[in-house]
Amino acid sequence: MNIRIPSLVLLALAAPCLASATDYSVQPGSMLGFTSSFQGSSFDGHFNKWNAAISYDASKLASSKFDVTVDLASVKTGDSDRDSALPGPDFFNVAKYPQAHFVTTAFHQQGSQVVADGMLTLRGVSKPVSLTVTFKPQGSGATLDVTGTVKRLDFGVGGGQYADTSVIGPDVKVTAHLVLGAK
Amino acid sequence: MSLRSDGRQWGSAAKFFHWVVALGILGNGVWGLLMTGMAPSISKINIYALHKSIGLTVLALFALRLAWRLYDGAPPDEPMPRWQRNVAHATHALLYLFILAMPLSGWLFNSLHGYPLQWFKLFNLPALAAKNDELSHLAGEIHEWLFYLLLLVLVGHVGAALKHHFFDQDNVLRRMLPFARVRQGKDTSGELT
Repeated sequence: MNIRIPSLVLLALAAPCLASATDYSVQPGSMLGFTSSFQGSSFDGHFNKWNAAISYDASKLASSKFDVTVDLASVKTGDSDRDSALPGPDFFNVAKYPQAHFVTTAFHQQGSQVVADGMLTLRGVSKPVSLTVTFKPQGSGATLDVTGTVKRLDFGVGGGQYADTSVIGPDVKVTAHLVLGAK
Repeated sequence: MSLRSDGRQWGSAAKFFHWVVALGILGNGVWGLLMTGMAPSISKINIYALHKSIGLTVLALFALRLAWRLYDGAPPDEPMPRWQRNVAHATHALLYLFILAMPLSGWLFNSLHGYPLQWFKLFNLPALAAKNDELSHLAGEIHEWLFYLLLLVLVGHVGAALKHHFFDQDNVLRRMLPFARVRQGKDTSGELT
């Protein structure tokens, strides 16, 4: 008995360190969108097909992880010309690179803001991209809002003749709102 | 040549507006008919953007032209039968209407299609209507047909000007030509001054 109690205490103390962040599943009502600009006017788009594996705990950032896969052909921007051009070889080139992949490499605090640093693989190019993280626990689940900026030309999206940033803006603002349920 | 119109001929401001608007609307019309067949590319985007910028410029120049015409007036009509005068004035009114309708219908077409509207990459103009794919197609047809109708009226306008110049040998054409001088006295026939 003398031995048991300290070991139980030790175990109880160690548990939070060993345990990983909570796993969540993405629920309906979630949205992965972006904002870009064309001829001086901004437009919004979103992806209809994507998947995210979210492990997150604000107090266990080291073991938190986002892993997101996007079906690029599911892009919708409210304009049929644009929607038929985006999957084509000049932009996403879905025939060769059907998916984009984002996976976090680390989380860090920037003031009161949590920032997720990760690697985005898009159109065969992998480059670091950071997202601001706003996580709000709600019941057994949570909502997760992230925003970040992707420089389209870093990934060759609209490279070549479409590289003219006076026509198509260089920055694409990515915004996601995830409704998370406990797994 | 004075800026203002006088009793014999149009002033240089009126001539400027007449010829620049004529060049703008004709060039942009032909340009517009040719560009629709292009395959999607950045050149197509830029060529469309230029077409829209020129169209907006024509619209602005037309507004200035109208204001100037109201202020400046017009030289008195050359002597001609009353029916010719009436047809001439009706033709001018129709041309004014088409010059106004061309860019406005293009602007409406662009709005219904949901495209941005930018003037030479400098600033954006608001949409005249909300995006509507069905109406956009109709507006595109109207925009094109207005140009054919304008050309039809223009044939009458140019034909009449040439008829007055070569057959009647009056000053109808000369008084609007940028560098020509009007014939002094209507009895002077056919000689360049």
